[in-house]
Amino acid sequence: MTAWTDRRYRVGADIGGTFTDIIAIDRDGICSVRKVPSTVVDYGRGVAEGIQHLLAQFGAGGDAIADVIHGTTVATNAILERTGARTALVTTEGFRDVLELRRLRTPQLYDLFFEPPPPMVDRARRFELRERVGARGEIIIPLDDGDVGKIVARLRNEEIQSVAVSLLHSYANPSHEQRVARIVRDGLEGVHVSLSAEILPEIREYERTSTTVVNAYVAPIIEAYLRTLVARLRAGGIGAPLRVMQSHGGIMSARATLKRAASVVESGPAAGVIAGFELGRQLGLRNLITFDMGGTTAKASLIEEGEISRTTEYEVGSSISLASPLVRGGGYALKLPVIDIAEVGAGGGSVVWVDRGGALKVGPRSAGASPGPACYGMGGPDATVTDANVVLGYCNPGQLAGGAVTLQAPLARAALQERIARPLGMGLLQVAYGAHTIANVNMIRAIKAVSTYRGRDPRDFALLAFGGGGPIHAAEIARALHIRRVIVPPMPGLFSARGLLQAQPEYYFVRTVFEPLASLGAGAINGVYGHLLAEAMETLAAEGGAEEDATFQRFADIRYAGQAYELTIPVGPGRLTGKDVAALAERFGAEHERVYGHRAVNEPVDLVNLRLVARVAGRPAPQLRVARARAAGASAERAAHFGPRFGTVATPVLARGDLGATPRCGPLIVEEYDATVVVPPRCTAWLHDSHSIVIDVDDDRDNGDALSEDGAEPSRA
Amino acid sequence: MPQSGIDPITLEVIQNGLAAIVDEMALTVMRTAYSGVVKDALDYSTALCDRRGEVIAQGLTIVLHLGSFPSAVRHILEAYGPRVRPGDVYILNDPYGSGGIHLPDIYIIKPVFVGGALEAFACALAHHTDVGGLVPGSNSTAATEIFQEGLRIPTLKLFDEGVANEAIFAILEKNVRVPGKVLGDLRAEIAAVRTGEREFMRLAARHTPATLRRYTDHLLDVSERLAREEINAIPDGAYEFETHIDGDSIETGPVNIRVAVHVAGDSLTVDFTGTSPQVKAGINSPLPFSESAVYGGLRLLMDPTIPNCGGYFRPIDVRAPAGSVVHPLFPAACGARGITGFRIMEAVLGALAQAVPERVPADGEGGNTIISFGGYDVQGAPFVYVDLIAGARGGSPRGDGREGVPHPASNIANTPIEIAERELPVRIERYGLIPDSGGPGKYRGALGQIRDVRCLAQEAVLQIRSDKRRFPPYGLWGGRSGSPSWNILNPGTGQHVLPTLTMGKIRQGEVLRHVMAGGGGWGNPLERDPDRVRRDVLDEKITIGHAREAYGVVIDPNTREVDTAATAELRERWRRDGRIA
Repeated sequence: MTAWTDRRYRVGADIGGTFTDIIAIDRDGICSVRKVPSTVVDYGRGVAEGIQHLLAQFGAGGDAIADVIHGTTVATNAILERTGARTALVTTEGFRDVLELRRLRTPQLYDLFFEPPPPMVDRARRFELRERVGARGEIIIPLDDGDVGKIVARLRNEEIQSVAVSLLHSYANPSHEQRVARIVRDGLEGVHVSLSAEILPEIREYERTSTTVVNAYVAPIIEAYLRTLVARLRAGGIGAPLRVMQSHGGIMSARATLKRAASVVESGPAAGVIAGFELGRQLGLRNLITFDMGGTTAKASLIEEGEISRTTEYEVGSSISLASPLVRGGGYALKLPVIDIAEVGAGGGSVVWVDRGGALKVGPRSAGASPGPACYGMGGPDATVTDANVVLGYCNPGQLAGGAVTLQAPLARAALQERIARPLGMGLLQVAYGAHTIANVNMIRAIKAVSTYRGRDPRDFALLAFGGGGPIHAAEIARALHIRRVIVPPMPGLFSARGLLQAQPEYYFVRTVFEPLASLGAGAINGVYGHLLAEAMETLAAEGGAEEDATFQRFADIRYAGQAYELTIPVGPGRLTGKDVAALAERFGAEHERVYGHRAVNEPVDLVNLRLVARVAGRPAPQLRVARARAAGASAERAAHFGPRFGTVATPVLARGDLGATPRCGPLIVEEYDATVVVPPRCTAWLHDSHSIVIDVDDDRDNGDALSEDGAEPSRA
Repeated sequence: MPQSGIDPITLEVIQNGLAAIVDEMALTVMRTAYSGVVKDALDYSTALCDRRGEVIAQGLTIVLHLGSFPSAVRHILEAYGPRVRPGDVYILNDPYGSGGIHLPDIYIIKPVFVGGALEAFACALAHHTDVGGLVPGSNSTAATEIFQEGLRIPTLKLFDEGVANEAIFAILEKNVRVPGKVLGDLRAEIAAVRTGEREFMRLAARHTPATLRRYTDHLLDVSERLAREEINAIPDGAYEFETHIDGDSIETGPVNIRVAVHVAGDSLTVDFTGTSPQVKAGINSPLPFSESAVYGGLRLLMDPTIPNCGGYFRPIDVRAPAGSVVHPLFPAACGARGITGFRIMEAVLGALAQAVPERVPADGEGGNTIISFGGYDVQGAPFVYVDLIAGARGGSPRGDGREGVPHPASNIANTPIEIAERELPVRIERYGLIPDSGGPGKYRGALGQIRDVRCLAQEAVLQIRSDKRRFPPYGLWGGRSGSPSWNILNPGTGQHVLPTLTMGKIRQGEVLRHVMAGGGGWGNPLERDPDRVRRDVLDEKITIGHAREAYGVVIDPNTREVDTAATAELRERWRRDGRIA
């Protein structure tokens, strides 16, 4: 075993609600995984112990680890459980309630009793300061340092741990905020200070204030957590640097993370998209929809022309509903770059029920991990999507996840029969297939939210399915959306954790310009990009990166004068000329037409924000290799049901390794350690060199969702 | 199967598909619109109607718009009948003869044909920044007939079998103050109905048109059946309520909205007999808008899971006397009819509070106040600033009224201050909650808000639509009214108090202050938990003086703890004196 100690491992740790996945790869790309129970009170303990287990398995010491990359839900949990720091807000006189009034709008209609999320900072801890900056950055009322001093005294009395400072128009002139910060830092040692002009130098006071407050609220929590984790790793002899996954899919050092703690709030789901991005690169697929189905929710995201879709329109802490960007006001605005992921409350644990109108429904309530679906045998009374999949013969009754859970088919059948089929007067298989189909329909809305809602046609993409349930549902979802190809990567259940090891250091910079594009010379734009670049260089230097390893991408947020929302348009490298600026307006028009179906001719356009992204190319990610799974054994077979059109069919059950480059016709079921892949009739499956399963979906007859009745063939669009 | 030919699975698949379509339509408008009213305040709606005009799905938008689509579609069918063709897009805004609800709300409606047969209508409605008329914003409260309120558009083909009618675009462009915004918003509406058409056709192709029709018919029936079950559960009887609009800007009020809700078995009648006759000022509510307000009010009391389609309108009969303020006749002005719509909904809720007290909160701020400034900036370019101020709910049996939650009739958003100041010659100098303004109650009403706006243009026409000064938001079951609303020009010494509905001038450097009403309280304030009173004091939402005067809770100004003994004594004395019921 001594040879192993020479190896340098990279380790990823992904904390979920139930399990923490630890994954390690060596220099040859061989990967090893360990699932440990999440230690809810002190998540860091589970992470450190999990890594130690892996090291013991390798017979290696702590110094064999090159770096540890971590995806964490600590910030999200602090927000959901309201256990963040004791936070104060300092704001412009007359505007302390901007935070509480939000944008007013509520996420549902017809609700006389709607409860908005309680403000993270109570009214009494929101302090007003006499000062005013105008819309062009001009000082209308100068700041009096003495007034700040008085607030500092009150902050001290209130035992405040973290202070958010958000003054009107600070994106245009941050000088007042900076002075406030200096005085607060001088006056109160050990207190966190978050400035809106640093966290989010963008126009729109509620969104900027809310983002800054979220940052202030979670910063001390993240700091304490990361410190503890580092200490635990050090105690275990692991001196490697700790890097943290960010909501935008890049990684940063723990130190840089602390500067903008709120940027880790959505770090969990980001890793799966990064893994998808890498796989796409490896397979030469530039257009992918990632589809991650877990126990409670399903998530979709778009990779287009080799680029991950990111957004800054995001809210944290709202309950999940069917994905619609119209559903705002249920949480806290957080406008930092985040991978654009649509999420719906449909997963394996989603409960199947019948509403008052007699329609069969799935979710959003979930049976969770405990008691879980009826078939887990842990006393869960509810029929769930997993139960339906067991009844249909898709999931293997017996062991799941290497024996972590045993699925009991009789319990699944009983729950669906008693709770759904009997009251509706329908057959068991009919109901099970219906529940499966409706789960698909719900998940399709997540995919539409990132594609058709944004003017993208899903048919131009391949569907990349992962998570425990994704590969069971993906082929039928693809069929309904006329997507021709589904990719199921190796180890689909651990795919997200792999993304941690593939992410690169990334840094995002933004500055509001907000001027008519026509009135801005190329010089002004070059000037702002110059500032952003200088800021980026400073950050890179602090992170120990070298300029020559960095690549830069530039973007501009543009809109027609007067519109509420901007489109983000890529800007090429180098100094811009007048011609480049004109071309920018033209590219915006083209993109507007693509997304919204129309463009305005001769309408002036505003340049709202300029953005710069710095990426540091790490060493090339090794190709992950998986030891070949069990060889083709005696061909197993079981009955699986594929809806009214195909009925119940004796379906071969294979291992991934049984597939080859020659396509095999469905129906097939591929079973592996952490997931099940369903290849329905009229689909074919083959194994790519990368060990991914490719399912080609026959779109010839659009009958994927059991919708035809009376044996009639539906017509095509 | 429980219903003949209806499969619960297909039912859900179709319902989900329809909901996805109307949301995608709403999103299209939101992202492509130009004006602040539409893009930031989100004052617009989208829906799908079936071939007869019944609503089969509605976007997550404005409740008061949604019940008005059937009437607009019916007018299209009546006016054009067999001449409704694929590729048509209809436009209308006129309340007299076209089904409109006031001139700024322009409907864009596209019939959807599948295989040559008319199957549906994709509908969008947006509140446009300006449609001409007396004042910028076109909601003049000084107009006395509809001709003064702007451009009237009867039901016309904006596109005739796919061909644009350039004349309509040209006439619109010349008759509105900010044509860029209006035409931009119109394009957004057109994009939305095209999205609706495309997606509906896909759904129809997947399920066959005949199947889709069967299921949408069924959805309407289900919605009706469930609404009837809900009504059946309300005790039979006649429940009456009267609420008031302070007055119109031309004659002194009040304008009374009287309603009697007769519940009989599984249907009910909402009768407005006794409501004030139509008035000269533009607060007359066209019948489709009044109906929409009634449907919306009743829907608030029903199970929210009832399918979101027009079937639930069926058991509801609205009787609005012709010539009244809730059913005005030509040529009554109606630009500011929103106020009347809000009052109608509040009257319906107030009446049914007697029947289902556990489901009805006290009155809120009364819907959004609208302030508009219009004129020309220093460069001579026209501008219109429209500000919506809203969000103070009444106390309810479930707890305190919530601050910053808009009236249930109108789910609007506010306009970012920084955006307004960057784009328009205004400076907003104050925007926040007003301590002590919530109506006292066991559960108090939400605090009202204050907004100060300074005019930076040379001069502008100022228009205000507000209410609830003489008749502030009502309390229920012993709860007190919220504090009243005010409009003040140049607050301070030399200030002028302006009427609730008014039009006038504002000059450079002058400040308009709007004080919004606070929500009404629910239940006896003497029963309010002293600890809740104390928490409001700590949160600076009420003062120590108000804690004592309104709630009989004595709080020590130094320790800020409740003086339990003094509180008990004071409350006991007040109860004995009958000071608070």
